[in-house]
Amino acid sequence: MTDRTSTISIVTQRERERPITVASPRKSSAKLVSSLILSAIGILFLVPLLWIVFSSFDESATVSMSLPEHWTLDNYAQVMNWDQTWLPLLNSIAISFGTALITVVVGVLAAYPLSRYRMRFQRSFMYAILFGTGLPITAMMVPVYSLFVSLKLLDSTWGVILFMAATSLPMAIWMLKNFMDSVPISLEEAAWVDGANSMQALGRIVLPLMRPGLGVVFIFVFTTAWGNFFVPFVLLFSADKFPAAVSIFNFFGQYGSIAYGQLAAYSVLYATPMVLLYVLVQRLSGGAFALAGSVKG
Amino acid sequence: MKRSLTTLGLIGVASLALGLTGCSTGDSGSDDGTIKVAYQKTSSFTAMDELMQQVKKEYEAEYTDRTVELIPIEAEQDQYFTKLALMNGSPDTAPDVIYEDTFQIRSDAGAGYLQPIDDYLTDWDGWDLYDDGAKQAGLGDDGKTYGISLGTDTRGLYYNKQIFEAAGLPTDWAPESWDDILDAARTIKASDPDVIPFNAYASNALGEATSMQGFEMLLYGTDDQLLDTDTNKWVTGSKGFLDSLAFYQTLADEELGPDPAQALDAGWGSKVSTELLPQGGLAIALDGSWLPSQWISGENEWPEWQDTMGFAAMPTQDGGGDGFTSMSGGWTLALGANAADPDAAFDFIAAALTPENALQYHQEAGQIAVRSDVAENQEYLDYNPSFEFFSSLVPYTHFRPATPDYSQISSNIPVATESVFTGQAAPEDAQAQYDEALVGIVGEENTQAG
Amino acid sequence: MTALAPSGTVARGRGSDPRPRRGSRTFTRILPLLPAVLLLAAFMLGPIVYSLYGSLTNRTLTGPNAANPEFIGLDNYTALFSSAEFWNSLWLTVLFILASAVIGQNVLGMALAVLLRSSVKPLRSLVGGLVVLAWVLPEIVAAFALYAFFSTDGTLNVLLGWVGLEGTSWLYYLPMATVIIANIWRGTAFSMMVYNAALAEVPPELTEAATIDGAGAWQRFTQVTLPVIRRSISTNLLLTTLQTLGVFTLIWVMTGGGPGTQSSTLPVLAYQEAFKFAQVGYGTAIATVTLLIGAIFSIVYIRILKPEVD
Repeated sequence: MTDRTSTISIVTQRERERPITVASPRKSSAKLVSSLILSAIGILFLVPLLWIVFSSFDESATVSMSLPEHWTLDNYAQVMNWDQTWLPLLNSIAISFGTALITVVVGVLAAYPLSRYRMRFQRSFMYAILFGTGLPITAMMVPVYSLFVSLKLLDSTWGVILFMAATSLPMAIWMLKNFMDSVPISLEEAAWVDGANSMQALGRIVLPLMRPGLGVVFIFVFTTAWGNFFVPFVLLFSADKFPAAVSIFNFFGQYGSIAYGQLAAYSVLYATPMVLLYVLVQRLSGGAFALAGSVKG
Repeated sequence: MKRSLTTLGLIGVASLALGLTGCSTGDSGSDDGTIKVAYQKTSSFTAMDELMQQVKKEYEAEYTDRTVELIPIEAEQDQYFTKLALMNGSPDTAPDVIYEDTFQIRSDAGAGYLQPIDDYLTDWDGWDLYDDGAKQAGLGDDGKTYGISLGTDTRGLYYNKQIFEAAGLPTDWAPESWDDILDAARTIKASDPDVIPFNAYASNALGEATSMQGFEMLLYGTDDQLLDTDTNKWVTGSKGFLDSLAFYQTLADEELGPDPAQALDAGWGSKVSTELLPQGGLAIALDGSWLPSQWISGENEWPEWQDTMGFAAMPTQDGGGDGFTSMSGGWTLALGANAADPDAAFDFIAAALTPENALQYHQEAGQIAVRSDVAENQEYLDYNPSFEFFSSLVPYTHFRPATPDYSQISSNIPVATESVFTGQAAPEDAQAQYDEALVGIVGEENTQAG
Repeated sequence: MTALAPSGTVARGRGSDPRPRRGSRTFTRILPLLPAVLLLAAFMLGPIVYSLYGSLTNRTLTGPNAANPEFIGLDNYTALFSSAEFWNSLWLTVLFILASAVIGQNVLGMALAVLLRSSVKPLRSLVGGLVVLAWVLPEIVAAFALYAFFSTDGTLNVLLGWVGLEGTSWLYYLPMATVIIANIWRGTAFSMMVYNAALAEVPPELTEAATIDGAGAWQRFTQVTLPVIRRSISTNLLLTTLQTLGVFTLIWVMTGGGPGTQSSTLPVLAYQEAFKFAQVGYGTAIATVTLLIGAIFSIVYIRILKPEVD
């Protein structure tokens, strides 16, 4: 991929130490000013986050942020029960894991021919995939609901998984194809000489070489599914199937204006896995990782 | 690109058809012998949950081969209706037994979500206990019975005697017109600015609660109604409708109501009954007869409520007509149209309505009795001293139009009240918008100018 | 770039395919594509087809039309286009996208990217981390945090109180402003990361040359840096636009689309019409319009960027 190519692929980027060169007398003062501005912006981003953290440890939390007078784990103890937290979190894991697994498997299968062969419809297919990444499908829950009625998939965890996998696929195929393109084909040629078919070559040669890429896509899809509220909110009805996103919303609706501390504690429990996964992805890809991909020109 | 998109499309449609037949392996609980029971549960309404838990136990003990799956829907009323409708959208997810508001019965029966239970009722010895009003409330458009009443309710004014006393108002308050209410509210505002003088539900988020506890309590105290029962046509542009909206405008303009920013919250209803009234933050509340039930016992217990709370009937606009007005609704247990085993599902309903369970539910959910065995039971009468007052409103009460499209029409009322109460629209404009929506639903030919 | 990065210097499969291309082979070659095609057809194309069809019916969620919906042609669309509510909602959607994505996230994202590059290292990691954290949080948790922040008794008003200003009920009086700021808070990290990566690619020789020619910092930025990374900018603009078009949860939790319809963007309006007012056909028509807007942006995106797709 040349520099002219812009892509929404995931690209890891070692942050380059290439500060904008400024004439040295002004350099330090410029650095000071930008550090000050940056700190101010940082505080604006920090305050709402701190509310969640502080409130979760505050026995008398309110909507406004304040340092807890009495630090307590009571809020956590209150919400850490099977029905309210653990089961929904397990459901979240099941849904996110299922979605990510299906997306990666199906995505790899699709990416392989797209990366390795030149086919007549390939160009249009990739355009269609790219087009699909832009459609606001998950904002269209009304027709999706109607579709699920016809498919008899309402209140089915599998239905939610398949739907979320399908909506993640365009992005995943796009990313996986780009990762795959970077694996030199010469390695597979050797395997073909040994009589391996294309699927064997994919499994033995290509996939091991793009393992970090697979991890990145997997986690990317996993976190998207983990955070999705609207899809399960409309498509699932039984409380024992709700993922944490829906269960926490119900909690907010019922007790949100009373038990802020518990809401915050629940939020922390629900959000922590996503933060950890993000850190993991950074480790996985080495250096400062831009999940957004480098959308570069 | 065009050509292969078409190809893609064709493949898509083909596999869609494939999916229709192939993907239908979704776990549908209805054919494995379980009875799915859907009902509402909120932080201030747990009586149904308690009843259902208990009935499930009793039922499974009696019929050892059957299992009951309880589906409590944790949502305020408006979202409860949405969730229920979404579940009913597909036979696989439709519940077998439904906790159903009477105003939804005709609509849901028309949609084919419910099945008539007349055949079961002839063999059920409990049916004779019900009064005619309750039987009427369970009817569909086709004259068949679709739901068995769990009790009824009325609506009136709650007022805080301590606040009234402090403001120099009589503690045996009995307003005779809307102006009397407004005057009392003004007095309270002047005497204690920190107290919310008066609450009538106005927000869209509260849906039917706004329509019924709020707007209709005003409208049915004017000379107009929503539906002209003589001609069976819906009324547009009526003076009563406009005056009712103007009442909301007065509340907003003089700041006699709650801060709209608070009152628009979906949890406002619970806040009124579990916080504001018990903590003396609200002087007068136009609300339903069930509120005291949560103060008697449970999480929201408030032992002093009898000493603090006074009750007054809602006056008509200028004291005309019967002088007072009220609205009555109520909830039923209904049988889902797609119940795999309707007999078993009806058995569950019957088990929920044994004399003991009916009594318990009437008491804990604060229902006005619709069955003779409960109404005459001294234990019931003693349980909640407010029953006597709210039962006395029955002669003044009105019922919502019993048509399949009422629920759709009604959902436009809170749109009007909210826009007036928040100052976004003048009463005239809000009324015009309601009329437009009304015509869109029922058609020009089914309306008449009021 | 690490080895992960697709790079022009690495030999690609394309063009060096050693296998003869024959008709019989084609099928086995595209076979692995099949699961993806099926899944996409059922759950991406499916809703689209359903949306187009459903918007032509008077299907409701309850009442007789739920049992037997009728085909009513374009009635839903004529009703939609003559409804003030729809145009209001469309305008709010445009406003939401313009203010929060096109201006907010992009400008702030760019500013952060520039500032990050010219700040001291510990601060850079700290602030960058915080911005990214807001983005990594599940949408609903971010919505709670901002709901609390803007509440009448919330942190913002407390902070304003410290400096002697009187707050207001932000969510009520300025619902659009709050959800716009919320979306900026939540989404800026994406733009920041994109621009951070893009800035790293700007050859330092160019800016050095400009410095020698006497260009100031601002001139260097507008005349050298921006033109060099313009493709990143246009790509990022389109992506953030599309993401913002689909935002539902943030608005739903914070304002519920209200008061009245003052913050009902198209996804919220579609949900309300279909599931609250039970007009599924009508709500589907709104969803279809949303989809069309997304599709247009998506096509513009592909057209402008002409990405290399093979």
